[in-house]
Amino acid sequence: MNLEFGRLALVFLFAIIPVVGIALGINSPGLRARIPLFVAFFAGTIPIISLYVPKKFLSGPTGMSPRLDQWLIIVYAFAILLGVVNVLQNSTRKIVRRESGWPFSIVLLAGLFVTGGAGVYGAISRKGITLLPDGTATPFKWIQDQFFQPLQSTIFALLAFFMASAAFRAFRARNTEATILLLAGGLVMAGRVPLLEFLAAPFPPLQPAAAGASQALGKLTEWIMDTPNGAAQSGIIIGAALGAASMAIRVILGIERGYLGLGRGE
Amino acid sequence: MAGMLDKLLSLDRRWIFLLVLLCVGTPIVMPIGLPVTTTGSTRAAFDYIESLKPGNYVWISFDYGPSSAPENDPMAEAFLRQCFAKKIRVIVCAFYPLGGLGLATNSLAKVTAEYPNLRYGEDYVNLGYKDGAAAVMRRLGEDIAEAFPADVRGTPLAQLPIMKGLRSIRQVQLVCSVATGVIGEYWITQVHSQIGTPIIIGPTAVAAPKYYAYLNAGQLVGMLGGMKGAAEYEKLLAARYPDMAHFYQSTRGFTATKGMDGQTVIHAVIILFILVGNVAYIMSRRAAQKKGA
Repeated sequence: MNLEFGRLALVFLFAIIPVVGIALGINSPGLRARIPLFVAFFAGTIPIISLYVPKKFLSGPTGMSPRLDQWLIIVYAFAILLGVVNVLQNSTRKIVRRESGWPFSIVLLAGLFVTGGAGVYGAISRKGITLLPDGTATPFKWIQDQFFQPLQSTIFALLAFFMASAAFRAFRARNTEATILLLAGGLVMAGRVPLLEFLAAPFPPLQPAAAGASQALGKLTEWIMDTPNGAAQSGIIIGAALGAASMAIRVILGIERGYLGLGRGE
Repeated sequence: MAGMLDKLLSLDRRWIFLLVLLCVGTPIVMPIGLPVTTTGSTRAAFDYIESLKPGNYVWISFDYGPSSAPENDPMAEAFLRQCFAKKIRVIVCAFYPLGGLGLATNSLAKVTAEYPNLRYGEDYVNLGYKDGAAAVMRRLGEDIAEAFPADVRGTPLAQLPIMKGLRSIRQVQLVCSVATGVIGEYWITQVHSQIGTPIIIGPTAVAAPKYYAYLNAGQLVGMLGGMKGAAEYEKLLAARYPDMAHFYQSTRGFTATKGMDGQTVIHAVIILFILVGNVAYIMSRRAAQKKGA
């Protein structure tokens, strides 16, 4: 086994120290609270330092930062497991207590077990979760094609009806800002589709003029999307990035501790 | 007059729903064939893929689910058709957890059936779904096989001829992310900004406005904004490739060009609703002011 410094450092920082911390923290709540802060500090600083310090043990192909990325993928997979446990707990409680809408929880759990079971079967049998070599669907793919996709499409399609209803009832020019929004929205909606050609379709003599006007409207729409929208989006993205960076610094330095979920006094 | 306004403002929403159903459904059953004009961002995306050489690599990421499939499927399928027509090697993956892999499988099966000479593992490969999009993308810059050790069929990457000599996404000429949410942004921030691979994005119309910032900053090669972008791409493909012109005219399946008919009619109806709603609102406000005076 190749004992690289980066690998040893990772094992020390993220395995030995947390385990020792947990063991010592059994009788010491104060110490127990400090160990996650220590882990978060190194998990946050190693990727940042690796960007500026071109050392093999930090940013090389098997260095500390790429390995942390690899671990992150595994942690994401555990997050799904956590989600499954959460759904199980909540749905079971609802069914046991006969809370409002409890029959839906039975359907949810049935869907979870049947679909999850089909996925696990695909993994164990090595048939996968997509198509078999002969082009037929695996059980998981069949459930996805016949249930999941139509259901999700249906739910999303309902939006068209609610949006039309909301446009009629709620989209009002109540003040200057709302009027500007209304005009910009109306122009973009009209400019993104061949609306004028559609309206001129029953009147052939008007069609060339409609095509020209539609092109001009399209250019105006592109300008709105490109210039005022692009500028505003840039501002939002830069602002959000600065906010995320400052929050990251607060977490790394242990100022922000909400994610620990500690009780009072810990 | 006031009575009519009140009636209009308190119109039962089921009438609106019925009108929407008719306006969306009729053009799908009886297509109108409205013209589609192309925009610069779509032409830039098309021209970039046209400039690639046979044997180059294009990575197509299915970062959307069934909810936005009518917008995103035509984009992904247009990218696949153009790449296969140009003999570009295609690597497919999915980062969207809610059905991304299923849609990738369906689109690949549909388009590869149109090109019987294509061979799986040599001309194209499906790497499947992987959770943790941003972290996986960072790994792709170092070693693709560490992020995706095997393809969707469980074949190790080392055994696939298409992956021979391809170690990092740095060697891929282009990434096309067909995206519904934040995953498209990850491709820009994690792959383009840090590794330098060019990106084309195909977002839904709702998500498209935010990508104009990246387009203006030169961080995107091109963009297909919503169903209109997909319809523009189909038009460009049809103009460049006669086979595809015939396909898009004769297919009985759903295309973005057909979808644009329905979208145009429903946009007209929504604009009409907004106008009528506002006229009624202004008139009722004036009537109330007169009463008060």
